[in-house]
Order: sequence, then structure tokens, then C-alpha cells
Amino acid sequence: MTATQKRVFINRIVMALSTLSAGIGLFFLFWILYILVSNGVEAINWDIFLFEGAPPGYEESGLKQALVGQLIIVGIATLVGVPLGILAGTYLSEYGQKSKLAETIRDISDIMMSAPSIVVGSFVYAIMVVPMGHFSAWAGIVALTIIMLPIILRTTDDMLHLVPTTLREAAFALGAPKYKVITQVVYRGAKAGILTGILLGVARVAGETAPLLFTSFNDNFMSTDLMEPMASLTVTMYNYATSPYEDWQRLGWAAAFILSMFILTLNILGRLVLLTKKGK
Amino acid sequence: MATICNVSEEKALEIKKLQFTYASADEPSLKEISMPIAKNSITALIGPSGCGKSTLLRSINRMHDLYPGNKYEGEIIYNGRNILDAKEDLIDLRINIGMIFQKPTAFPMSIMDNVAYGLKLQGIKNKTELKDRVEKALTDAAIWKEVKDRLKHDANGLSGGQQQRLCIARAIAVEPEILLFDEPTSALDPISTQGIEELVTELKEKVSIVIVTHNMQQAARVSDYTGFMYLGELIELGKTEELFVTPAERLTEEYITGKFG
Amino acid sequence: MTKIIDNIFANSTRLIAITVLLITAWIFTVLFQESLLSMQTFGLDFVTESKWAPNLEKFGAFAAIMGSVISTFLAMVLAVPVAIGVAIFLSEIAHDKLKAPVGVSIELLAAIPSVIYGMWGLFYFVPIIRDIFGGIGIGMLTAGIVLAIMILPFMAAVTRDAMNTTPDILKESAYALGGTKWDVIRDIVIPYSKAGIIGALILALGRAIGETMAVTFVMGNVHKVSWDLTQPATSIPVTLANEFTEADTDLYFSSLFELALILLVISFTIISVAKFYFLRRKRSV
Repeated sequence: MTATQKRVFINRIVMALSTLSAGIGLFFLFWILYILVSNGVEAINWDIFLFEGAPPGYEESGLKQALVGQLIIVGIATLVGVPLGILAGTYLSEYGQKSKLAETIRDISDIMMSAPSIVVGSFVYAIMVVPMGHFSAWAGIVALTIIMLPIILRTTDDMLHLVPTTLREAAFALGAPKYKVITQVVYRGAKAGILTGILLGVARVAGETAPLLFTSFNDNFMSTDLMEPMASLTVTMYNYATSPYEDWQRLGWAAAFILSMFILTLNILGRLVLLTKKGK
Repeated sequence: MATICNVSEEKALEIKKLQFTYASADEPSLKEISMPIAKNSITALIGPSGCGKSTLLRSINRMHDLYPGNKYEGEIIYNGRNILDAKEDLIDLRINIGMIFQKPTAFPMSIMDNVAYGLKLQGIKNKTELKDRVEKALTDAAIWKEVKDRLKHDANGLSGGQQQRLCIARAIAVEPEILLFDEPTSALDPISTQGIEELVTELKEKVSIVIVTHNMQQAARVSDYTGFMYLGELIELGKTEELFVTPAERLTEEYITGKFG
Repeated sequence: MTKIIDNIFANSTRLIAITVLLITAWIFTVLFQESLLSMQTFGLDFVTESKWAPNLEKFGAFAAIMGSVISTFLAMVLAVPVAIGVAIFLSEIAHDKLKAPVGVSIELLAAIPSVIYGMWGLFYFVPIIRDIFGGIGIGMLTAGIVLAIMILPFMAAVTRDAMNTTPDILKESAYALGGTKWDVIRDIVIPYSKAGIIGALILALGRAIGETMAVTFVMGNVHKVSWDLTQPATSIPVTLANEFTEADTDLYFSSLFELALILLVISFTIISVAKFYFLRRKRSV
């Protein structure tokens, strides 16, 4: 074999291996989606939404408390975390820019974004659950907010940065004060990007289980009392799936299906928002 | 129909009714181009931005094949065969037809490894042979004296002009028959540009050269034949002195006198 | 009036941004404070002893720490070659029409919550491991595999991004000399994006070590280090997830907090190394 023939041969092998790897990746995706859909569709019925959790074997049991709880905890965390994250990201992009402080905040946010979320759960346990004497939805909300903050901060920072300087200068040249330049011009220019950042951030936080395990804990019954433990889809899923009871396991799959459809939808929406913006 | 002058030398390449369409385009970017490329000469391609000169150049070593969906029609005859044929061995083709790019493209390796890269690809392992051929290539590229003491150093430490000479050395180390230059001095300062132009003129003894340039004066200084292209068509090919002084086509005259482009 | 609003706006954004730093510092402080009791009681033995007996009030974290190390190592061994293969596929091989769907699929895989990977692992993977290796199917090996599949998409995506930074013109120069795709990848793309690739892999490592839910389902939480990978084991996050709500004494809690602190320090360090040595932030200023 000449050297070139050998190269071409090795090239074919590498290409095949690498395509195989991509195939492996896709295989797992389809496998997981398949089991989610097949188990989930089987387990879903109106009962899920009508009834709260009940001891195994009960006729009328569902996920109502978990769904409501998830909405409340993630919803409030979003309502708090998103504005705070956007404002913090605004500071980085519009005021701090390349200062040492801003760079440090960016670095720490980056690191915290990849740090273990169970540690955040332990932290909130120490500062909220212990003094309060019991688990509470508030503790869960605080944990999720802490996780969401760096995510929204970084995406806002990056998106605002993409708005051209000339746009800002034009607004200043018309005599606008800085806060108006930011809120009326820059935010508008980065609207799509920030929205995508929010959707992806919420998707990420909605899937968290570990930080809720010992903050909002769990509840088998409907509750909207934020001072008390509250059920969440993720923790309920974990508990039910690891239980030995078949009907609880089935509910676990229903929960998994609902949660992943929700998260995948948010992800796809987020991408669509960016794509439609690019098309303009 | 283009006005093609009589090319008396032997031909390195014969381009016959070449038509090229990019993957996402409705219209072809090259429209039925026919021209000879003379052996051991320098043929320059000039024309306004977007006229297709780089597209034509990149068809010769089939660079377009790297990006799926592009379509060639027509023929380019090299060594008695049509190299646009689907069965053409592209790796072999590119060893015989080399290319220098607009920006210096030194690989992230030492100077020695850069120049030896094409040789190693062909399987040459003998250290002595590699060293000799690298030295010869660097000498022919007029940069041996400057780098002979730092062959192991990273190529990125060289200046822009030096890096481009390095790329030329790398291309001639594999002893191609044809060298394609795609605006090789557009990223260089005037002094480096002059050096490269001198080098190209020397190289034509061993290699047939096609050079794309947006700088008319460069074409006039350096080339034996010049082809003027406009909107994907070849308007005129002539001996350089004749084309610049007494162009056959009206369009050529307007471009040269600066009426557009 | 406008000046006042401008000031308030500027200062509040700065304040909130600084809060991120404060919260991080606070987390370290609180974890440290809570760990003090355990640190004072056990000293260095905490990390060298593997005996973890809540009823005897003796806590040694060696099994948990080793468990984290081994499961993560296993996951990396399995995931890195496949992730690099996927990255090469997406970056150099796939046609434009394939790049988008496959790339998006990989990113969607990364978005699936880890608790679902855990469930899938428990119900579908454990039986397979049980059939092949015997035992109960729950243990280090299963955890390593589930963890590998979990971090694969993230690793592939970030590695692909690193490879994509290679300028086209550099690759074309190598093709112009008669290089094959693999020649170009091996000699040009990988050396050029070396720092980014290593950074991506280390970053994925940092994430993997803190991963809780994917492994909690399939690890077993047994505080023992064993060469037999099919035996149940534990890791730091698994211990925390399982035992935090069961702890009943101050020392038990303090030991758990010390575990959390160790985990935070380890992952913080690994991620910082990835960031500062390998991943320079790219900004289009």
C-alpha cells in the first residue's frame, strides 16, 4: 500500500467510527424519548390532574399536588430570579463592562453554573430550614432562584453585548439618560436573545431535583402554603420511581413524561425565538 | 465570446466551457469559460469584485468539492484527462496542483514540520531526504537564510511576509506542476508584496502559475498572460503587454482605465 | 429627577450583580461553619476512613469520596471517545443538512433532566447489567455508564464548539496539499483547538463529579470501596441525597455538611482549572 492509499484507508475508518459515535448519541436520544413516551402515554389519564397523591393501591391517585407545587416553586423562582438576573446582567454589560469587578462576577457565575446543585440545597437547608424548624416551599424557591441567577445573568450579559454600540450612541446623542437608553433601546434590541435565555434558564431549573430534596421536601397532599413543605414533580418522580409499588411507579413515568415534554417544549421555543429573529 | 490570444507555448491546462454553480445559487457563477494556461508562464486573472476569478481558481484544484452541493460542468484538461470528472483522484490532483491563499496559513507546528507536511503526507519518512527537500524548498522560496537556525520554532513567530513565503515553500516542496495563487499579497505590506512578486517571477521556471489579483498593477508587473473576467465570464485573454496597452475588448479597456471596479 | 433615577438604576444593578459574589462566599462560609463540628471531631481521618456508621456516630468519607472519583473516572473513560467522535462528526463530517438536526438532537439530549436519566437507568439498564454480570445490577458500573450517557451530550457540544473555531482557510491549506479529512482533523483542527477541547473535557468532568440524580437511582448508597464494580457503592452526592433527611444528630449533619464542602471545593477547583487554563472567553467586543 502506498502512503496515500494507507491514509485514505485510515481516513475511512475514522469517518466510520465518528459516524458510529453520532449514531450512538442519537440511539440514546431515541431510546430515552421512546421509553418516556411509551411509559408516559400509558400512564397518563385525567386522574393525574384531578387527584392528589395517595397510598399505593388507592383508586383515586394522581399528581395534582406535584404539578401545582412544581408550577408554584418554579414559577415564583422565575418571577424573582429573572428580573434580578436581567438587572445583574445589565450591570455587567452596560456599566461594569471590562472592569475587574465585572470580570470577577462573570467568572464566578460561570463556575457556579456548573457547580453541583445539591450543594445549593444543603446551603439553603442550613440557612432556612434549620432556623424555621421545618421544610418549606420558600426554601425550595430560594434554592432554585440561586441556581437560576447566574444563568440569566450570563445570557443577558451576552445578549446585551450583541447590541451594536452605534445604537446606544444614537440614543445618547438625542439626549436620553443612560437608564432610558438601556431600558428603551438596548433591551428592545436584545429582546429575542433575552427571551431565549429566560426560556432555557427556566427549562434548566425546572428539571432540578437535588436542591429540592431537603428544602421544599415533599408532600402527598395539595397545598399552596408556602411556609410548609410542598410537592414538586421532580422529587415526587424520584420518590415514586424508587418505590416498590407499581401504581406509584406508573405515576412516576407520567410525571417524567409531563416534565420532559415541558422542558423540551421550552427548549424548542427558545430556539425558534432566536431563529425567527435571525430571519428578520 | 471571449477574445483569446494565441498562446504559443505548450499548455499546462486547457479549460473548456467551464460552468460552475454554487450549492445555494440559482445562477452559475462561472459561465462557459474557455481558456488555455501556458506552461512555465504566469497567467494573471483580473476583474472587479465578484467576477468569479477566485471561483475559477478554486475549480482548478477542486477546492469547491470540500463543500457539498457545488456543481461543475465542462472540462479542465490536465495531462490528457478531464480533472472535473467525478472519478478524479483529488488527493493526487492536489499534490500536482498546489495553492497559496489570501492570508498566510502557517499550520500550528514548527517551521520544519510545516514545510515537510506535504512530503510526510506522501509517506516520505527518511529524515535526510526530508531535511534536504525542506532546505531546497525554503531556499527556492527565498527564506532559507532567515529561518535556517530556527527550524524547530513555531511558524507563528514569523512575520506575515515570512509566513506567506513559508506557505509557498510548503507548496513547492511537493514539486507540483502548477501553482495557484489566490490574491497572495492582499494581506501583506508593500515591501513583503514586492518580495513575493519577485519570488513568483522566479518560480515560473519550474512551475506554471495562475495568479488571481485585484491589483491591476501587480498583474502588469508580474504576468505573461492576463485574463480579464467580468460577471462570471472571461472577456479577454491576452499577452500582458498587449492587453494593458491595446486591449481588444471595450469592457477590458474601461476596467483598465478605471471607469469601473 | 432624571439624575436620581439614573443613579438608582445604576446602583441597584451593581448591587444585584455583587449579590452573586456574596451568595457564593456565603455558601462557602455556611458549609464551612456547619462542617466545623465534624472537622474537629474527626480531623483528617474523615477523608481516610471508610467506616460510615451513623448509629455509632463514626463517619469516614473515604468510600463516598472514592466512589465519586471512580464513578466519574469510569464515566469519562466511556464518554470521552464517543464525545470526541460526535464532535468530529458534527464539526467536520456532517453535511449542512445533517449538522443542524443532529446538533440540535444532541443539545436536546443535554436538556433532559438528570432525574429522568436516573429513572431510565434504574428500569432499563439495571436489568441488563444484572443479566450480564449477575448481582443486583445496582452499583458502580451501572452508575458509571448512566453518568457517561448523561454527560455525553454536553461534552460533545462544547468540544464541537471548540473545533468549530478552526479557520476554514487553515483547513483548506491542508486539503490543498492533498490531505484527507482525518489528516486535517489530526494535524490542524485538533492542535488548533487543543486548549478548547481539553477545557471542554475538564468542564464536563467538573459537572459529572457533582451529578446527583442520574446516579442516585443506580448506585445503591453502600459505604464500601470494592474492586468489584458490580457491587453497590456510594458517592458524595448520592450520600447527601439519601441521608440528609435521615440525619438525626448534630455530628451526623456536620459530617454531611463536610461532605458537601469537600464536593464543592473539588468541583469548584476542577471547573476553575478548565476555565482559566483552557477556556479563554471569546468576546466580540
